[in-house]
Amino acid sequence: MRRLRAVFLRLGGFVRKREWERDMSAELESNLQLHIADNVRAGMSPEASRRAAVLEFGGLASAKEHYRDRKSLPLLETVAQDLRYAARTLRKNPGFTMVAILTLGLGIGANTAMFSVAQAVLWRPLPYARPDRLVEITETNPLKHWTHTVAAPANFADWQKMNTVFTGIAAYYPNDVFLSGQGEPQRLKGIAVTGNLFGVLGVVPLLGRTFRDEETFEGKSRVAILSYNLWQVEFAGDPHIVGRSISLTGKTYDIVGVMPRNFFFPGHDKQIYIPFGFKPSIFVEHRRPHYLNVIARLRDDVSLEHASRQMTAVASRLEQMYPDTNTKMGVRLDGFHNTLTQEKRPAMAMLLSAVCVLFLIVCSNVANLQLGRAAARGREFSIRQALGAGRGRLVRQLLIESLALSLAGGALGLALAVFARSALLRWAPAAIPRYAELRIDAWVVLFGACVTLLAPLLFGIVPALASSRADALRDRGETGSRGGRSLRNVLVGCEVALSVILVVGAGLLIRSLIQLENIDPGFNPDRAVSFRLFLSETRYAKSEHTVRAIQEIERRIRTEPGVQVVGIGLVLPLQGMAWTDDATVEGHAPGDYERELRHNAVTPNFFRATGTRLVRGRFLNAFDTERSPPVTLVNESLAKNYFRGADAVGKRIKFGIDRDPDPWVTVVGVVADAKQDSMSARVEPEVYVPLTQSGPEGGLGITVVIRGSATPDALVAAARREIHAVDKDLALTDVIMLRELVHESVGDQRFRTSLLAGFAGCALFLAALGVYGVLAYSVAQRTREIGVRMALGASATQLFRMVLRDGLRPVLAGSIVGLAGAYAVTGLIQSMLFGIAPVDPPTYLLTCAILAAVALTACAVPAARAIRVDPLVSLREQ
Amino acid sequence: MANKADVWQGTLALMVLKTLQTMGPLHGYGIARRIEQTSGDQLSVNYGTLYPALLKLEQEGYISSEWGVSDNNRKAKFYRLTRAGQKQVAKEAREWEQATAIIARFLSPGEERS
Repeated sequence: MRRLRAVFLRLGGFVRKREWERDMSAELESNLQLHIADNVRAGMSPEASRRAAVLEFGGLASAKEHYRDRKSLPLLETVAQDLRYAARTLRKNPGFTMVAILTLGLGIGANTAMFSVAQAVLWRPLPYARPDRLVEITETNPLKHWTHTVAAPANFADWQKMNTVFTGIAAYYPNDVFLSGQGEPQRLKGIAVTGNLFGVLGVVPLLGRTFRDEETFEGKSRVAILSYNLWQVEFAGDPHIVGRSISLTGKTYDIVGVMPRNFFFPGHDKQIYIPFGFKPSIFVEHRRPHYLNVIARLRDDVSLEHASRQMTAVASRLEQMYPDTNTKMGVRLDGFHNTLTQEKRPAMAMLLSAVCVLFLIVCSNVANLQLGRAAARGREFSIRQALGAGRGRLVRQLLIESLALSLAGGALGLALAVFARSALLRWAPAAIPRYAELRIDAWVVLFGACVTLLAPLLFGIVPALASSRADALRDRGETGSRGGRSLRNVLVGCEVALSVILVVGAGLLIRSLIQLENIDPGFNPDRAVSFRLFLSETRYAKSEHTVRAIQEIERRIRTEPGVQVVGIGLVLPLQGMAWTDDATVEGHAPGDYERELRHNAVTPNFFRATGTRLVRGRFLNAFDTERSPPVTLVNESLAKNYFRGADAVGKRIKFGIDRDPDPWVTVVGVVADAKQDSMSARVEPEVYVPLTQSGPEGGLGITVVIRGSATPDALVAAARREIHAVDKDLALTDVIMLRELVHESVGDQRFRTSLLAGFAGCALFLAALGVYGVLAYSVAQRTREIGVRMALGASATQLFRMVLRDGLRPVLAGSIVGLAGAYAVTGLIQSMLFGIAPVDPPTYLLTCAILAAVALTACAVPAARAIRVDPLVSLREQ
Repeated sequence: MANKADVWQGTLALMVLKTLQTMGPLHGYGIARRIEQTSGDQLSVNYGTLYPALLKLEQEGYISSEWGVSDNNRKAKFYRLTRAGQKQVAKEAREWEQATAIIARFLSPGEERS
C-alpha cells in the first residue's frame, strides 16, 4: 500500500517538477547555511566553514541528483526527455523521417490489414455457443468418388435416431425464394432449415423466436426468420416485423423472428430462413438424392474421433439395411469451422508469410537508413559520451528514436489498414467468404500495436549498438567506417534476397493465372449474356406448361433485334451448379452401375448460344419432342471414358437405376468439353438431354443464354420485355456476361495473385531504395577519393564502373541467395499453381531481368553523380 | 573523516525515524548531526543519501515536512513523525532487534554448532 502511494507521489513529482525543484534547492541551501553557522560558531572563518560543510556533506549537485531520482521516476523522466529529444532530431531531418515513417507505415499497415483479413477468414470464432463442439457431417462413397458430399434426407433422419454422440443434429440447404411485393418479385438468398437448427447452433434471436421442431414438416412450416441485414435493408428495420406476413414464391409466410447482427451463416449476409416444409415421408424415402448440409453438436464428453467411430458404425448398419442406396456409403465428420476455412487456408498462409517477409524488408530498410544517419551523427555521439553518457544511455536514446518512428509509422499503418478494409470490401468482397465480418476490431488494433512495438527491436537494435560504439571521436566521419558500410551491404543483400523470393512467388502465381484465363473454357464467352429464371411450382405445376413457357420465351427473345441466338438450359458452365443423376452406360459392368453423371437439360439452340463445338453426330433439334424417341448428347469426357475411343454416337445410356423401367436413351452427338465447376478442375462426364424429354416439373430454375450484336444491357432489357409478356411475375436474376463468368471463376486466384504481386512490388521498390541509399551515401562520402582518382587520370567510364560494381555486389549476392531461397520455398505453393511447375524457368529468368533492371537504375543515379564530381572542388572542400 | 563509516544501506530509515521520535521535529541538517552524535561520531551522513531517504519516508507517509524557523532564526524545513511513522519505528526496531539477536548468537563464542 505504502509503496503504491509512493509511486503515485513520484508520478506526481514527475508532473509538478519546477515547484519541488525550487523547494529542494531552498531546503539544501538552508541546511548548508545551518552547517556553516555551526562551523563559524566553532571558530572557523566563513570561507573555511563553507568549504568544510560542503566537503563533509558531499557535493550539492550530486545530492540534488539523488534527490531528483527519488522524487520522480527517473526512467520515466529520461524516457520522456529522450522522446522529446527524438522528436526534435527527427523533425530536423524531415527527409529521413518521412521515408522511414512511410516505409514503416507500409509495413505495419500491410501486416495489420492482412491480419484483419486472416482474422475474418480463418480465426474469429463463429458466433455460436461453444462453436468448437459443432461438426459438419458429410457422406462418402468410393464407388461414386465422393469424399464429402451432402447427405440424403432419409440418412440424415436415421442418423438423428441412431446416434448417441450428439446433443442435436440439424440440416439445411440453400433455397432461394422470391419475395413478391411491387413489380417483379425479388429474389432473396434463402436457407431452408430443420426446426432445430438454431437450437443446435445455440443462438437466440434478436426479436421473436426461432423455429420449433415440428415446423420442419409440411403444414406448420409457413414461418420465416430474417437475418439482421435483410431486416434492415428490405424491411427498413421495422420493429414490429414479427407477426407480419410476406409472400415468398407465391406462398404466405409469417415472420416469427429476426437474428442478431453478429449472427452469421455460410453464404450471404442478407438471408431469410424458412423450414424445409417436407412431408414426413421424405425423411423415410429420399435416400437417393443428396442435398442436405448437416451440422451437429457433439456431446460434451465425446471427442471427434469417438463420434466418427460411432457414426461409421451407424453408416454400416444403414448399409446393411438399404443395400440399394447405401452400398459403400460412409460418413465423415469435420469441425464446422474447419470446413468453412479449409479452402482458404493455404492462400492465407502464403499471404501472411509474404507480408511477414515484406515487414522484414521494411525493417532492414529502416535499419539501413538509420545506419546511414548514425554515421553522420558519429560526432554527436562522441560528444555525448565524452560528457558522461554511458553506452546504455545512448543505446536507449537511439531505441527511443526508433520507437518514435515506429509509433508514427504504426499510426499511419492503422490508417492504411482501415483504408485497405474498405478497398477490399469494394474490390474483392467474394474473396472474403465472411466479408460482413471483415472489421478492424480490438484484436486487429492490438496486433498493429504489437507490430509497432516489435518493429523498433528489429530495425533499431543493430544500428543503436553499432553507432553507440565509442571511439567515434577519432573518426571524423570522413570516409564512413568500413564496418558500418559492410553491415549496410549485408542488410541490402538481405532485402534483395527476400524480395527475390516474393517476386518469384508472385511471378509463378501470375503465370498460373494467365494460363488459367487462357485455357479454352469449351464455350465462347464473348458477346453472350445469361440470366436465370425461376418457374415456381404454383404457376407451372405441369410439365407441359413448363415446356411451353420455356419454348415461348425462347421464341420471343429470338425475334428481338440484335439477338442472334437464344438457348436455354438448366445450368451453365462455371455457374457453380450441377445436377447429377444415376445413369447406366450400355455395355458397362455392374460395377459402373449407379455411376452418377452430370446432367443438364437444354433446348436445341443451347450449344449455339454458348458457342460450344459439336464434335460428332448432330445437335438436338426441334424434332426431339416428348413423343419422339429419347435422345441425348454427351460431352467428350463421357465419350472418352465410357466408349474408349469408339464412336459414342448410336450408343445407349439408361438413366435411373437398373430396375427402373426407363427406356434406353440414344446418344446422337458428342459436344466439346465445357468447364464445369472451375477453370482448373478436370471436366467430368456429362449428358445433355432435350428439355422437352426431361419432363421438367414446377419449381425449376433455368438459365437463358443470349448471344447477339446488341449490348448486354440492351439484350437483357429486350429479354425482360418479352419474358414479362409471357409471365409478368418472372424475375430475371444472376444477370452476367459469359466473359465475366470466366473472369469470376478465377476470382480467388486473382485476389491472391494481386495481393502477392502488390507485396512483391513493394518489396522490390524498398530493396531498390536500400541499394540506392547505401550507394548514394558511399559516393557522397568518397567524393574526395573520387576527386583524387579523377585528378590522377581515371576516366568517367572507369569511375562509373567502379561505383556500379560497388553497388551491384550486394545485389548479386542477395539475388543468388534469394533465388536459392525461392527454389526452396516455392514448392510450398505448388497447390496454387496451374499449368507450371514451381521451378519454372521463364519466371526465374524474368525475375532476374526485372531485378537487374531495377538494381541498375538504383545504382546508375549515384554512379552518374560520382562522375560529375569536380576534382578541384572536392579537393578544396577538405 | 576518512575512517568514519558510511551508514549501512537500509538502516538509515530506522535511524531517522528513531531520531525524530526522540528529538521531535527536526530539520535535515539537525537529523544528520544527531545521527552522527548518537553513533559517537563513528558514522557520517551524506546529503546525497539522507535527502532521498527523507523523501522516501515522506512519500511512504511515515514522516511529514513543513517549513519553519530554526533556533538561530533561519528558515528550515522541519520533519516530524506521523502516526504511521510511530508504528513503523516500533515495528522496525523489533525486527532489527530480532535480526541482531540472531546474528549475535552466531558470533558469540561458546555457542557454536554442537
